[in-house]
Amino acid sequence: MDLHSARMIGAGLATMGLIGAGVGLGVLFSGYLQGALRNPSAAPGAQPMLFLGLALTEALGIFALVMAFIILFV
Amino acid sequence: MATSPANTTATTAPPEQGSGGLPQFDLPTWPGQMIWFLIIFGVVLLLMSRWFVPKIGGAINEREDKIAGDIGSARKLKEEAEAQAAAAAEETRQARARAQKVASEAKARAAAELAARQAAEDAKLAESLAAADVAIKAARDQAMANVRTIAADTASSIVEKLTGEAPAAKEVEAALVGNA
Amino acid sequence: MASIEPMKQFLVHEVVHIDPIVVPGLGAINMSITNSVLAMMIGALIIVALLGSAARGQLVPGRMQAFGEALYNLIDGTLVGPMIGDKGRPYIPFIFSIFMMVLVLNMMGLVFAIGNLGGQEWTFTATAQLAVTATLALITFLSVVVIGFVKNGFKFFKLFAPGGVPWPMLIFLVPIEIISFMVRPLTLSMRLFGNMIGGHVVMNIFATFVVMLAVLGMSGGIATLGWLGAGVSFFMVVALTALEFIVAFLQAFVFAALACVYLNDVVNLDSHGH
Repeated sequence: MDLHSARMIGAGLATMGLIGAGVGLGVLFSGYLQGALRNPSAAPGAQPMLFLGLALTEALGIFALVMAFIILFV
Repeated sequence: MATSPANTTATTAPPEQGSGGLPQFDLPTWPGQMIWFLIIFGVVLLLMSRWFVPKIGGAINEREDKIAGDIGSARKLKEEAEAQAAAAAEETRQARARAQKVASEAKARAAAELAARQAAEDAKLAESLAAADVAIKAARDQAMANVRTIAADTASSIVEKLTGEAPAAKEVEAALVGNA
Repeated sequence: MASIEPMKQFLVHEVVHIDPIVVPGLGAINMSITNSVLAMMIGALIIVALLGSAARGQLVPGRMQAFGEALYNLIDGTLVGPMIGDKGRPYIPFIFSIFMMVLVLNMMGLVFAIGNLGGQEWTFTATAQLAVTATLALITFLSVVVIGFVKNGFKFFKLFAPGGVPWPMLIFLVPIEIISFMVRPLTLSMRLFGNMIGGHVVMNIFATFVVMLAVLGMSGGIATLGWLGAGVSFFMVVALTALEFIVAFLQAFVFAALACVYLNDVVNLDSHGH
């Protein structure tokens, strides 16, 4: 296997980290929606925390994506 | 134009593109960007803290104060109006009480007068009633007396018819008294 | 035939050359105005124009003032107020600057996404430069450290030792807290950088697909199906652009929110858990 193909495979594997981020975002929004539908009056108060959680969850997936880019292009 | 001509000509596969990969990791471009960003961010921060935030936040606070003040004065006016309404209601109540008192006094006076006059009438009536009673009694006594005379007359005439002679008045009288 | 060059849009090149400044010990620093610096300058000008027209201070707001006040309320009412409280009021300009800077630079990468026009590259997203996001993250991090020391003195180190924890646990907890504190600038910069570069690369790849598949479709025969693929890719680009607008706003919001959370740690150090 030459370096180029190894890079391609490695970058592809690195993007798998996004699976976790996807699952995490699903869990996050499902939790928010369940809470929001049960008690709609409390939903607006939870929104900043929702976005914060979204950012923290997504960041981990983004790290994997950045790793993939670095493997692919650097 | 140090790097761009070299990069634009390299249009083959991605790994060969740029100066060895991701342009963001091209370290010589970092210090200039960082210093320029610091300068620009400092300018924005200065303008923000000296101009935008005081002005925008001040406008928002001013509006809130104005709305709160307006609501407060409106509430005060409402309270004043309510106090006036309460005073008016109190006045009406007093006037009504006074009128009621006057009316009840008048009623009492009228009732007293009525009672007095009634008593007088009653006395007069009782008086005439008593007089009438006396008159009736006298009339009855007289009538009773007449009855005795009539009875004596009738008896003496009946006796006269039966016996043929008139009885003595004294005898008739005694018989009548004895029967009575 | 077009080739996939998703990274070309992030190339930094000089626009106006300024002679390097030689700093003793650091060497020559190239202070030339590059397209990245130009984007920052335009962004700052947009912020000044936007907020300058909003800062009229009228009792009954006009359109621009209502817009500026909506942004201000987002920072004051959603972030600083609930997260830091009244002690956070002095930091509103700082948070607002971070928010506006990130928001405008993110948006510029999308609103001016007309690519190459008249031989000039118009699209540039300054927040997709790691140098920029790292600087922003370092500003935030160092501000938190400096404010922490100024407000709390050496009690600042209580931040690394959570209260109510038995001391044997502290042996493990303190290093973890220190590490999690130290990686904050890394995560802050990487989050913004990764979101921006990821979104733009995906958009670029799909946009390239449109051209490639359309060119393929022109060759006739079974390859005519390429038009279908080009249409699907075009729809994807439209959808991704909408998504990227959301992401652009959300990342600005999140950057400001995290700055608030970090500031809250040091501003309210003695009045909560730690």
